[in-house]
Parts: sequence; structure tokens; C-alpha cells
Amino acid sequence: MKKQQVTCKEVMHHVCESLGEDLNSPHCFAIKAHLEECSGCRDYFKSVEDTIDFYRKYNVEPTKASHLRLMNLLGLKDTE
Amino acid sequence: MDEQSLILEAQAGNSKALAELVKLYEKTIYSFAFKVCRNPEKAENTMQETFISMVKSLKQFDGKSKLSTWLYRITANHCLMEYRKRKHNYVSIDDDDALISEDSVADWANVPSFTIENSELKSVLDNAIQKLSPEYRIVFLLRDVEGLSTEETGKITDLSVPAVKSRLHRARAFLRKEISQTFKK
Ligand SMILES: [Zn+2]
Repeated sequence: MKKQQVTCKEVMHHVCESLGEDLNSPHCFAIKAHLEECSGCRDYFKSVEDTIDFYRKYNVEPTKASHLRLMNLLGLKDTE
Repeated sequence: MDEQSLILEAQAGNSKALAELVKLYEKTIYSFAFKVCRNPEKAENTMQETFISMVKSLKQFDGKSKLSTWLYRITANHCLMEYRKRKHNYVSIDDDDALISEDSVADWANVPSFTIENSELKSVLDNAIQKLSPEYRIVFLLRDVEGLSTEETGKITDLSVPAVKSRLHRARAFLRKEISQTFKK
């Protein structure tokens, strides 16, 4: 099998795209191999993951008051 | 009662079942709306509009898609409509090369880790995502933050799977770059 050459830039692109997805094509194997050797790309990959993680952790809930306004607006009773 | 029975009961006019359905999804919808608008009043308004639409058209809901998918779609469309009314100018993120540069990697070293008390980081996150046009923002939020599949995200936003992937990839790279630039020393 011909060895696939990938550049850091390509890895960064692809890593973005395939985060959380299956890496199974020959190209992706080459990317995985690159990631193992290249700490720059690993750091980039990690920082994209951190970015996603930040937005996941940044959560909000409706207040009790806005819950009551919603039920009231819809004419629904709040039965616990 | 499971969700399927709650929907059938609510469609038949049972208001207790309807109230249960609203309560089942109100947190999800409020939180998604907040993540799109980054503002509590707008989030509340969007949540109200979403459930008003749900109550109005629940009878037409055929159960072919999940109720959550249907609600996300109403919410996303409501947000998009609001944004279109106001005509913002968002940064263009069509240029991949501008989003990703090989020397940007080291900039992440000063980015703090997320804690709910860290209001500085939270405001950075708010600002970064608000620069992103809602079309990109919604794809990022549905796929990465809400954790829906690429296919489901496509259904909600009327985009093909490759289009979802391409928007997602640009949105991630853009947000990452915005955050890293803010904390660059
Ligand atoms: Zn590399």
C-alpha cells in the first residue's frame, strides 16, 4: 500500500471535520499516525475539543418564574 | 406514561398530558434557545413561541420524527426569523485558510479551563459565538453541544449531510480561533 503523506494543515482541517466521528479510511489512518508523531496537531485537536466542551458546560435553565409564565401563557396547570 | 402515550393523550385534548409534555422539553428548549440568542429574555420569548406553536400544531404531528427534533426545528426557525428581521453583519467564515493557520497552535496555552463561576471566559464564549452567523451557530449547537447526529441536524436545518459537516467544521475552527486570540498573551 502506498504510504499517504499528510501535512499539518491538512490534519488540522480533517481533525476538525472528523471530531467525534469514525476514523476508518486510509487517509484517516495516515492522519492518526501523523497525530501520534506531531504534538502541534495534537494540541490543535485538543483545543478544538476544549472549545466544544466549553459550550457544552455553559448551561442555563429557565427560572421558576419563567416556567410559571410559560404554563400560564399556555393555560396549563402545573401539577407536580 | 411514556412520551408516545403523552402525545396521543395531548392530541386528544388531555391538558394534563400536554402539561407533562411541556415540562418534559421546557429545559431543553430554553437552554437551546439561550445558547442561540445568548440572552435570557430572548430565550424565554423563543421558548414561549416554540410551545405556542407546538400546542397549535400538535394535532398535525405524525410521529415520523422525534418530538424533540420537531421542537428543535421550531426553535431554530424562530431564532433564524428573529435574526433575519434585524439584519446583522456577521464575519465571513468562507475562507478556510483564514480560520486555520499552522502558527496558531501555541495560542491556546493561556486559555483557562471552564468553571461556571468564570464570568470572563463565559463572556468570551458569548462574544465569540455571537460573531458567528446564526446559520453556522445553530449547526454547531445542535451537533456539538446538544449532541444530535449529523443526519438529525441536517433534518432540522434543511441541510445535506456534507453541508452540515462543512458548516460544523468552519464553526469549530472559527470559535477556537476567537477564543485563542482573546487569551493570546
Ligand atoms: Zn502536524
